[in-house]
Amino acid sequence: MTRFTLVATTAVAALAFAGAATAESFKIGITQNNVGVDSYQTTYEKAFIAAAEANADVEAVVLDAGGDVARQIAQMEDLIQQEVDAIIIWPTNGEAVIPAVRKAHKAGIPVIVTNSNIAEAGFPFVKSFSGPDNITQGSRSAEIMCDKFKAMGIENEAKVAHITGQPGYTTAIERAKGFEDRLPEVCPNVTVLDTQPGDWNREKSQKVMEAFLVKYDDIDGVYAGDDNMGVGALNAAKAAGREGIIFVGATNFAVGYEAMERGEYWGSIYQSPVDDAEAALKTALDVLNGMDVPFLNYFDTPKITQDNQSNFTKPVF
Amino acid sequence: MPKITKASLGRFLAKQGILIAFILFMVGFTLANERFLAPENVMGVIRSSAILGVMALGVTFVVISGNLDLSVGSMMSFSTIVVLDLHDKLGPTLAIPAMFAMTLCLGAIIGFLVGYLKLNSLIVTLGMLSAIHGLTLTYSGGKNMDIADKEGTWFSVFGQGELLGVPVPILLFVGLAAFLGIVLSKTPFGRKIYAVGGNGVAATFSGIRRPRVVLGCYLVSAFCVATAGLLQASRSLGSQNTVGQGLELEVLAAVILGGASLLGGSGTIFKTVIGVLILGFIQNGLLLVGLQFYAQYVVTWVIIILAVWLDIAAKRGKLLSPIA
Repeated sequence: MTRFTLVATTAVAALAFAGAATAESFKIGITQNNVGVDSYQTTYEKAFIAAAEANADVEAVVLDAGGDVARQIAQMEDLIQQEVDAIIIWPTNGEAVIPAVRKAHKAGIPVIVTNSNIAEAGFPFVKSFSGPDNITQGSRSAEIMCDKFKAMGIENEAKVAHITGQPGYTTAIERAKGFEDRLPEVCPNVTVLDTQPGDWNREKSQKVMEAFLVKYDDIDGVYAGDDNMGVGALNAAKAAGREGIIFVGATNFAVGYEAMERGEYWGSIYQSPVDDAEAALKTALDVLNGMDVPFLNYFDTPKITQDNQSNFTKPVF
Repeated sequence: MPKITKASLGRFLAKQGILIAFILFMVGFTLANERFLAPENVMGVIRSSAILGVMALGVTFVVISGNLDLSVGSMMSFSTIVVLDLHDKLGPTLAIPAMFAMTLCLGAIIGFLVGYLKLNSLIVTLGMLSAIHGLTLTYSGGKNMDIADKEGTWFSVFGQGELLGVPVPILLFVGLAAFLGIVLSKTPFGRKIYAVGGNGVAATFSGIRRPRVVLGCYLVSAFCVATAGLLQASRSLGSQNTVGQGLELEVLAAVILGGASLLGGSGTIFKTVIGVLILGFIQNGLLLVGLQFYAQYVVTWVIIILAVWLDIAAKRGKLLSPIA
């Protein structure tokens, strides 16, 4: 429904401006991964529609693949048939959508990938990727942790446990790499005791942390690949009565934000679905306006800690 | 005191193959890391196994009756999300019974389809796995569910509380296991379950109302899932929609590891508990040993196969046998 109402309203807006408008008007199609499966994606869609409506030069065709690769490929073909000026795709699967992306490329329609990149084989058919830089997120988490250790004066003896996302997932691998590469650069004397996966799952992470607490008498910091797992680890430490551990995560969730307010959780990386959506639209418009857009067009995901969290609104997810 | 002969010892060992495997692993892990048997670690493992364990108790009933239940993982996500949501809307005193009622309804639907309509339990529960997942997502709108006031609620007692130094989840697990163990081995309902699973046609001709027994098993399973959801919700006071995802296979692995037959008619609650503990201690032991985690998947599998082999070998009386 949103699709039709949006096309209708933008059409009305386009008519209203038709007489006066001198700037070129663009028809931009987007096929999203799975709106409604989590609050991040729901908020992303709302923000994208709002950004498109706010721009009189844009007529947006907003589609959702519902997590289904086949449906997404069909939607790509629909958008090609409609001869949109650009297509934004949030891939349901980094490999399977490549043929459809190539088809759009061959039809002369620029393709922008949003949020999660497609596999490298598809890069030649893509104008730009707009999304978060997970390697930078990992290295920023390392910096947050190191800065805190320095403030506490334990940067020469601190010991860190590392809980990663689901093994085999690009986001998990990139964040872990960013963290592990950056930590020795900023805090060369901090040791990483152990690395185990928490599978993006709070309960699993809690179990892993319980085992860490048994195994190591001395843990000064825990880095988790997202706040959901970070809070799981925090719960384990609280239950075991171990205090003074510095928890740092990524993708600031509402639970992480609240734990920071309570002073139990030190910091994270703020990744806003609104920024994500607006960056995707802006990348598409920049491409259409013939501007020089980097292939990997990351939007900023700043550091958030107890010290500066008042500058950020609480995440909705 | 009866004299221990070689034959009687053999008969005893044949029954306890899985227990022997369990003891062997415990010794092995203890040698690898002396903290493995530290009381706080053992308590910790049993406490976090309790959620899986409670679910496995119910699935044991279903499996003995000759059916499968693959929906328990997503059903547990459902119970967890529902009880967390209702906690803030109705308060814990009403939220818990409401959640149990809703989960039992799901169990009743499955029991009706499998028991009364005689549909294949694999298809029914596989379908319910994704249907309930969709139901959960619709209910929550995809959002993570969290209790607003985490410090000021007594709801945390189920997952985090202690009684006389023993964590409450362990007490609930042990209590429920003892109760369901008695139901299964000492009551007419329990005997009917073995009869239905062993030979359904014969059971029907001997006057057992098979549909009713099957429905009963799925209700027991749903009750256990609801209890597991309660423990899960209370333990972390917040949850994502996929919290139980994949648990159905771990639960089934524990039940089968405990020696219940997938064909129905055999299995006991006690052995399921051993199966659950083996899985829990393997996971924990490998973490303590500090094995690189990609390797852990492989080693976990090797240990499970080893346990199953020891169990079968004990029943046969020798390690290798030309006949099964």
